[in-house]
Amino acid sequence: MIGRMFFSLLALSVGVSATAEVLTDADEIISRADRASYYAGADGRSEVRMIISDAQGREQRRQFTVLRRDVDDTGDQQFLVVFSQPSDVRNTVFLVDKHMERDDDRWLYLPGLDLVKRISAGDKRTSFVGAHYFYEDVSGRRPSDDTHELIETNDEFYVLRHAPKDAQSVEFVSYQTWIDKETFLPMKIEYTNAAGDLYRRVEVFEVGEFDGYPTVTTSRVSDILTGGKTDMQFRYIKYDIGLPEELFTERSLRTPPRDWLKRPAD
Amino acid sequence: MNLWPLLLLLPLTVLAQDDVWDDSEWEEGWEGEEAGTVWSGFVEGGLGTRFNEDELLDNRNTLEELRGRIESEWQPGKVTISLKADIDYDGIENSWDADFRDLTAAFSIGEKLDVKIGRQVQTWGTGDLVFLNDLFPKDFVSFFAGRDNEYLKAPGNAIRLTRFSPVVNVDFVWTPVFEPDVYLTGERFSFFSPLAGENVAPRPPLSAVDPDESFSNGEFALRLFRTIEGREYAAYAYHGFFKQPTALTSELEPTFAPMSSIGASLRQALGPGLFNVEMSYYLSRDDRDGTDPFIPNDQFRFLAGYEWEAKPNFTVGLQYYLEATLDHDELIENSPFPEYEPDEYRHLLTNRLTYKAGRDKHTWSLFTFYSPSDSDFYLRPVYTYRHSDRWSVTGGANLFGGSDQYTFFGQLEDASNAYLRVRFHY
Repeated sequence: MIGRMFFSLLALSVGVSATAEVLTDADEIISRADRASYYAGADGRSEVRMIISDAQGREQRRQFTVLRRDVDDTGDQQFLVVFSQPSDVRNTVFLVDKHMERDDDRWLYLPGLDLVKRISAGDKRTSFVGAHYFYEDVSGRRPSDDTHELIETNDEFYVLRHAPKDAQSVEFVSYQTWIDKETFLPMKIEYTNAAGDLYRRVEVFEVGEFDGYPTVTTSRVSDILTGGKTDMQFRYIKYDIGLPEELFTERSLRTPPRDWLKRPAD
Repeated sequence: MNLWPLLLLLPLTVLAQDDVWDDSEWEEGWEGEEAGTVWSGFVEGGLGTRFNEDELLDNRNTLEELRGRIESEWQPGKVTISLKADIDYDGIENSWDADFRDLTAAFSIGEKLDVKIGRQVQTWGTGDLVFLNDLFPKDFVSFFAGRDNEYLKAPGNAIRLTRFSPVVNVDFVWTPVFEPDVYLTGERFSFFSPLAGENVAPRPPLSAVDPDESFSNGEFALRLFRTIEGREYAAYAYHGFFKQPTALTSELEPTFAPMSSIGASLRQALGPGLFNVEMSYYLSRDDRDGTDPFIPNDQFRFLAGYEWEAKPNFTVGLQYYLEATLDHDELIENSPFPEYEPDEYRHLLTNRLTYKAGRDKHTWSLFTFYSPSDSDFYLRPVYTYRHSDRWSVTGGANLFGGSDQYTFFGQLEDASNAYLRVRFHY
């Protein structure tokens, strides 16, 4: 769900200008939020930088470029993440084949060993390159993995509560999202653990519009119990750039596609 | 050390964070133009020492080095030039050493063919620290001495062609001059010699006879691969030599026997984890019937593995590996040292445990090799602390043991060591 914001840079909000109707069906809201966050255009690219801070204020930095392509709109997707910073992860590449009907396939290319390492399906709610974001957040959690309940509708937000269908596979017991009624972008997510404590929060600070799609440009995830946080900033966002399917294969792990990774001129 | 002056700086640090996105803090361009040529790398100091002395060696240490790495990349036109160079001072060999781990030109011909020419590290196959169809050079000396995992893979001078197609992708690697593994020479570690019937550390160190340089003595490696619905299928072929000097010349000098192999592998998701299976058949071209005691026999190798996340941040990997020596009866009949020859079936079990904490700040891992047929083992506990993007510290040990001195890990019992490395990235 965090991923909703993580990659909502690639957001499309279908319902934005179409109607101002107030929705009451939680599944409908979440499906629109999923679409707004992950399925903007047929494909997209963005550059991302992260500042990972611990409770003592010590910082680490990551910079990478993300390419995304939809196999089916609101269905299967492909992601390619190529790191440029820091130097010990430069040219590390992460590839995701996201599936609706089965577990995602994920690979990590480690250039030092020329090793294409596959990541097991269960290993998804662990730190993504040291950040407070999880591997699963890169490509998004399937809406069908959770149950959704609309608990409040106010002027700005739909407020929903979600619970995992398979409690064993995740560290949260429930989470709550504040979904913008205009853009359908989740603007805040709060996670509760088994002890009943609020332990994790995701917030969106800025949203911009790119190629007609409202898109998150700055966000933060906070680890409330330890005091750490990861700030994220997205730039050079473009949609519908015509990424070919072959881009999302082992070829790009070993040889990152320079032409497609190049920063757009405008 | 008095830390108070540092504490005085703290409020300043906090103030600076008000603008977290201050661009001067970033190495690479974020505003406007992309960064041009980027230089990076690290400086690392490493020290490793044996638990017990090896009487055959003067130096108790296994690692004494200061290493500098420089990396960069250029794109003149459609070509990508990559550079990764190491310079190190090695206190054990008492020498300066420089090597390119990567010095390549990569480009595409047409839409489907990628070419990479030059000195490069290459890996394929599905094994975790166990290799069947990956016959690219490995540096076991670095691995046993406590260098970073990266150094297990040695670079080789090669031309790699990869053709991509929806039907099947083809990888072809030509290494014009045979690149053997970095093997045990007696310089850093002693090794078992069947001739002597015990461990030896020859002076000068062992130097195996390389094959003559010719086109047909080059290495040719082929991989056909395709992923269908998350299942990774691959088939392999190789024409070259055994990578370790396990043969003897007519003058009884160690050398590399001609070898060709074929194999196949599959890797796929299974339940919560990943399953892999791989096999290969090694054909010893100069000893097809297995009767020549100075040349290794044909082998059949098999590997099956499973890896899964057992608990959050805790990953478990298990592998079973079989090395079957074919025509074993002929080997034993003709061998001058039948007692030291490998068992017909060498079974090896491996286990990898990895635990990460503090968002990858701390990584504990334990890799275990255990062979019930050889009754020997090799344990690799490693702890890495990533203090920051700049600094990291790694401590670990290489623990070998076995009931016999002539088995692969048994011969290294006196090499058991612990090491510490500190690395600064720039």
